[in-house]
Amino acid sequence: MLDQKIPDTIIKVRDSAAKKGVKALFRMHREKSHLIRIGNNSVSLNTSEDLTRLDVEVIDGRREGSCTLLGDLEGPGIIENALQVAVTKAAVATPKVYEPIERVIENEIEEENQFDQAIEELDSGLKVDTYSAIMKSVGEDYNYSGSWSSGSTEIFLSGTANDKFAWRIGTDQQFNSVLKHPEEKWELADFQSGWQVGDVTAEATVEKYLDLIEVFKKPGIRVEPGRYTVLFGAQALAEILQMLIWTGLHGRHHEEKIGWMSEKKAGDTILSDKITIIDDPANLHTFSFGFDLNGLSRHTFPFIEEGVLKNLFYDLDTAGKYGKKPTPHSGSLSAVMRAGEGLTNPFEAARNMGRVLYIPALHYINIPNMSKGLFTGSSRFSAILLEDGEAAGPIFSTRITDTFQNVFSNVEILSRANLSANVSNTYGRRMPEAFAVPSYMISNEVKITDSAESFQ
Amino acid sequence: MKKERLIKEINSGIERIMAEGADFCDARYYTEDSSETLTLYDGNLESNETTFESGLGVRVLYKGAWGFAASSREVAPAVTFKNAFSNAKTASRLVTVPLKMDLNPPVRGKYFSPVVEDPLNIPLEAKLAFLEDLDKKLQGTHIEHRIIEINLQRMHNFYWNSEGSFIERKLINCFAGSTVMALDSDGKMQMRSKVLHTPGHGTRGWEMVTKPELWSGRAEGIKEELARLLEAPELDFGKRSVILLPGQGMLQVHETIGHPLELDRILGYELSYAGGSFVRLESIGQLRYGSEKLNVSAYGSIANSPGSFGFDDEGTPERDYLLIDKGILVNCLTSRAMISEVNQVAGRQVFDQSGGASRSTAFYRAPIDRMTNVSILPGNDGNLDRIISATEDGLVLDNPKSWSIGSNREHFHFSCEIAWEVKDGRITRVLKNPTYQGHTLEFYANLNAVGDSSTWVVEQVPNCGKGEPNQLMEIGHGVPVLRFENVITGERV
Repeated sequence: MLDQKIPDTIIKVRDSAAKKGVKALFRMHREKSHLIRIGNNSVSLNTSEDLTRLDVEVIDGRREGSCTLLGDLEGPGIIENALQVAVTKAAVATPKVYEPIERVIENEIEEENQFDQAIEELDSGLKVDTYSAIMKSVGEDYNYSGSWSSGSTEIFLSGTANDKFAWRIGTDQQFNSVLKHPEEKWELADFQSGWQVGDVTAEATVEKYLDLIEVFKKPGIRVEPGRYTVLFGAQALAEILQMLIWTGLHGRHHEEKIGWMSEKKAGDTILSDKITIIDDPANLHTFSFGFDLNGLSRHTFPFIEEGVLKNLFYDLDTAGKYGKKPTPHSGSLSAVMRAGEGLTNPFEAARNMGRVLYIPALHYINIPNMSKGLFTGSSRFSAILLEDGEAAGPIFSTRITDTFQNVFSNVEILSRANLSANVSNTYGRRMPEAFAVPSYMISNEVKITDSAESFQ
Repeated sequence: MKKERLIKEINSGIERIMAEGADFCDARYYTEDSSETLTLYDGNLESNETTFESGLGVRVLYKGAWGFAASSREVAPAVTFKNAFSNAKTASRLVTVPLKMDLNPPVRGKYFSPVVEDPLNIPLEAKLAFLEDLDKKLQGTHIEHRIIEINLQRMHNFYWNSEGSFIERKLINCFAGSTVMALDSDGKMQMRSKVLHTPGHGTRGWEMVTKPELWSGRAEGIKEELARLLEAPELDFGKRSVILLPGQGMLQVHETIGHPLELDRILGYELSYAGGSFVRLESIGQLRYGSEKLNVSAYGSIANSPGSFGFDDEGTPERDYLLIDKGILVNCLTSRAMISEVNQVAGRQVFDQSGGASRSTAFYRAPIDRMTNVSILPGNDGNLDRIISATEDGLVLDNPKSWSIGSNREHFHFSCEIAWEVKDGRITRVLKNPTYQGHTLEFYANLNAVGDSSTWVVEQVPNCGKGEPNQLMEIGHGVPVLRFENVITGERV
């Protein structure tokens, strides 16, 4: 945990700034990160970082300036200097045509309900042992890769708007494992997520691999372009959902008619009535933040209920520009896609559905046309062709290019089980993010546009 | 901490780790990694941000395994060395092919990016005045939104390793781009943009940003092209030739030549995240990657590029060499440990030296195999007009809107901002929402025209993502105008 010296100094600098009439928010971010990476059945990297950042954001009338420091914040005058940089930048900034919204910490809050010190101090030897166990249990003739990130994130917010502060410390871990056949080149993968010791186990991965390996002994199948029924696994669903939210539910994209929902308004039916998407920071399948990075208190926030658009999210700039109220969504979202009534076993759910493509994860999703809601990405790990729920064989890398509207309107079945799917990345600072999604979704008439014989 | 004391601690840290049995150790200390980002969105300064990073990263090789540790706390060099060594020791418990750093002679040197005006020393008022002036030029009755963004970087770091190498680098990068947007006749948003490129020579300070021919002088051009897009019909699905301008060609070379030729990907070290490569070790010197018109270099002695950095992050001087020679794959983007592994596994010398492509985005990330300047060399098929005049049925494409690539880089799908239709050697009209897709080797086999040096520019990439923990890297791509035949374009109905 953070040495109290830094928050104390921030509060001192904040109070001094407030007396001078400066409007500023101070955001301290400390991470203790650890990541082990596996490649070619070996540890290819074992890394740990101890990094402390400070963001200072200043509003001066209609002008704004900011400064971010990543360095030794305990040095004399460092925090004051960062404030001065932001103040100086704001003083000469181009004024906005709208009034910037001041960052106000709504409620004093201290959170550590998702903190497990054992994760912060996790011995990397445990990770090595876990990967070793997977290799030994499944067979050492395969080629194994993977990565396991774990660590703690501590955030301290304080601003000149009031005397309140918000503090959170939490731990998180993101695990993945890839098994590749050394000659035939097909790949299986498993993903696990959590915030406490015991959330990641070798047994869970081993069980999934052993279930799938027999299927992958069958010859690879090349899927021709056309319309297919697709069974999306939880990881694929979470990745598509992340893109759907960004492109369709962002207030900026709506106000400026950039996104695919820009012609819709609250109350319009936009997707299947099976689809409900909310932001629920209390959901334990997600990483639970009680406040966002601007100090707004977070609460249950419906985006889409039974296919009907309810709310969009607004960042400070968009809210200021378009006269809207900012929503508490700066930072980690706790998106929850409500589960359905489908059987827990996806293969059994697809039993009487003829030919179904099972795509557990998608590689490299992108948005060729945001206005139309068109996304594209290709299958990679563990993808299978099902015939009436029976595995006919693995499929080669297969590209989906279709719209969110089509995929989420033609929903046939949603699993009754919800899972945690970790969607964090480690670009820049540590900021854990996980969605709660049904363990699978079956959609009809999904457009397949290409495939390649990727197992050669 | 005083610089002299820090240097002493770093040197003694390396000595201590080596004395305790490490195979190799290096350290990078960044006194400064600064950047400034300014974003004008519809005239509102939405980003006016300065960042400053400083700290130490230490990498240790022990019994064939890497450990790395980093800290932003100045009081912690000894702790950082200890953590890196401890991480390496733990990693060494699971090693099948031990990584090696074949002993190299010490490298001592300095590299400073060629700069006249350090962009971070230019007064903010002057930079904003330049952007506001450009913003006025982007205004127009048909324009709904205008975005101008510049990102200016200055990095000063020092490198030490257990072989006695010591390198000082000061790198400067300037990235910039402007975009205009408006609703088309279907009520959908269209965009047209221009990104700052370099001619490959000259200096790369603020003086580059203000040269109209590199960026800002295209304001009227992108507005006019956007106006034509608003009334344009949609591109139909079908096979035709595509002529890639450098703004799009850079994405093509980046995703389907650069990434597949990173040796760590080929060896399988990126499988859990970025993916693998269809290229195999036995492909080197054998694989026909494309037509005889395809010649690709690494680094290319390009003075003015974000992919030019003097020495990589394990002390290897940047090297100029061919990756693809007349369509045949001859080399890869390599680092010391990766070439050692290949030579060890192959039982012969596949690579004789590192390609100087081991790069790290920050002091707190370990270096991995990255692109430098991966460039398609100019050809002899003339300028753009000549290539268009020799095209029966095709599209001229510019600027990426999206990119999605198969996990082994064997297939791809790209969308672009604009297409100009070419029929019987003439541009006939503008088409909107262009996309194209292909399979990498088949696509490059159909490369049938490469523009001359008058069409060649260096496009800058500020944000190539790779690695775990994730790293964004600055890269350059020298690209001429390129034409490919029989390409699938547009979307299936």
